[in-house]
Amino acid sequence: MRRGIVGIITIVSALAGILWLGGLAMAIQDQFFAAKAPPAGTAKYPKEEKTDNRGIYIVALGDSLTRGTGDESGKGYVGYMVDQLRQKTAKPIRVTNLAIKGQRSAGLLQQLGQAEIERQLKLADIIVMTIGGNDLFQGGEALKLAPKQIEQAKASYLRNLDRIFQTIRRINKDAVVFYIGLYNPFSDLGDAKQTSAIVRQWNFASAETAARYSNIIAVPTFDLFALHVNDYLYSDHFHPNKEGYKRIGERVASLITFTEGDEK
Amino acid sequence: MNNLVYNEMLKIVRKKRLFVIAAIVAVLVALFTYAQFKQVKELQERLGTSDWRTQLQQQIIDAQNRLNSSSISEEWRKYLQIRLQQQQYYLEHDINPSAPGAPTFMRMFIENAIDLFLPLLVMVVAADLVSSEASGGTIKLLLTRPVKRGTILLSKYIALLLAISFILLTVALLSYLISGIVFGYHGWRLPLLTGFTINGEDLNTEGVHLLPQWKYVLIELGLAWYVAIVAGTLTFMLSVLMRSTAAVMGIMLAALISGAILSNMVSSWESAKYLFMVNLRLTDYISGTAPPIDGMTLGFSMTVLAVWGLLALAIAFIVFTKRDVY
Repeated sequence: MRRGIVGIITIVSALAGILWLGGLAMAIQDQFFAAKAPPAGTAKYPKEEKTDNRGIYIVALGDSLTRGTGDESGKGYVGYMVDQLRQKTAKPIRVTNLAIKGQRSAGLLQQLGQAEIERQLKLADIIVMTIGGNDLFQGGEALKLAPKQIEQAKASYLRNLDRIFQTIRRINKDAVVFYIGLYNPFSDLGDAKQTSAIVRQWNFASAETAARYSNIIAVPTFDLFALHVNDYLYSDHFHPNKEGYKRIGERVASLITFTEGDEK
Repeated sequence: MNNLVYNEMLKIVRKKRLFVIAAIVAVLVALFTYAQFKQVKELQERLGTSDWRTQLQQQIIDAQNRLNSSSISEEWRKYLQIRLQQQQYYLEHDINPSAPGAPTFMRMFIENAIDLFLPLLVMVVAADLVSSEASGGTIKLLLTRPVKRGTILLSKYIALLLAISFILLTVALLSYLISGIVFGYHGWRLPLLTGFTINGEDLNTEGVHLLPQWKYVLIELGLAWYVAIVAGTLTFMLSVLMRSTAAVMGIMLAALISGAILSNMVSSWESAKYLFMVNLRLTDYISGTAPPIDGMTLGFSMTVLAVWGLLALAIAFIVFTKRDVY
């Protein structure tokens, strides 16, 4: 009996050994001698149409504001907005946050060119976005920029923004886009008059660009942070804190309405 | 010779180690299956979808955000950067690198077991192969037989190779059978990408080609077998050199664990790449993960391991045939 077991184990082991040797040979053949045959390009990427009409699909794009940097709960305005919307509607809400910290308008434009991002946007019912904060403030350095440099940054930003809106509308012509404007994080500093003017002009030009497209709504936040700015800013004096994000989220949520049947 | 090998196999089987190893593997696989299952569930809940493209996209975005934070170590940044580009490549070619299924689990299990868990299992068998005969005194009985010493050691070594093959078979079968209960047994034909090469922080996709998962898994098992043999041979040498099995285990354990730690911090110490323990993760070259030190390749690591293994084997044979036994 014992002899039998040992014999079987020995034979099984030997066969397994041959199999693993084959695997090793295959590894060497594949990694060192295989003909290079890269897979075909992205041509066959699935282009499915939106089929699920029961839920609401929200896609968030942009920079650290949309990401929620500074909110210790990590929700950001997108999270608070969804909290509000869940009280308004019984429909299931699904969110995909594609925002990247530190992203500028050029980066976002590039991101929109990716096939998967395009697919996500196509499926979206609502798109929320922030962009431009890093174009203008460049990590809090805007205060030191000369007016001429700011004009330059603004011109290239507006060009990018226009192409961003154009791309979004080409991919998805129905979804409502909420473009969230900038506030002035430096409004309690000495040169507040100057910086506020710059931000106001920046916002105005952005809103003008948004107005050229249907269903792209520029949502102001400048007023939300105008008084007591430090109560709403995170310790980096740049990003909003929890309270600040809550206010932005509530404002965007107040703009979203649902058709009669969906209301709670 | 056949009888000698059979005799050694009998000794290994009689010690019941192989069954203990099978039991350890079964428990661990069950544990990891559950952990993986939980992770999949959690991710699905967080994103509200089971669509793998959305999930992969979210992972890419998360990695991009992590890359943009300032407090991130250079090694971690490089690792993230490479993985990010790879995920992007998978996504662009519409291939799901982690489609649920027992073969996928098997592949990930091997990739994670190759540098520590698998060598440890091999060590359990190899550590006392010779040393126990020396400390127990049975070595004298063995050597009084009219067979050359070299032949005796060779029979032991062949038995070790057989045991290693058996252990790997146990790992493969158990990880497939147990994880399949949860994830299903399908997915052998799924396409996967291999052939990524890494230049600094960039991923070179020139040599990338598709492999069906069954082939991919078999390749990884072949490499895992290679690593297990080298680890087994080193343990075997120590077992010849030392009478105490505990000492053999201690040294191997220290070497393996130091390898796992070193891999995370040697990027600036270039000559560390000639140590065997930082070269154990051969499967990383197949999947395209950044190696611990720039310039390490599959060929390089296999050569380093082969040199260490052959040296150990030579030392074991020379010492065993020349040594006085009393």
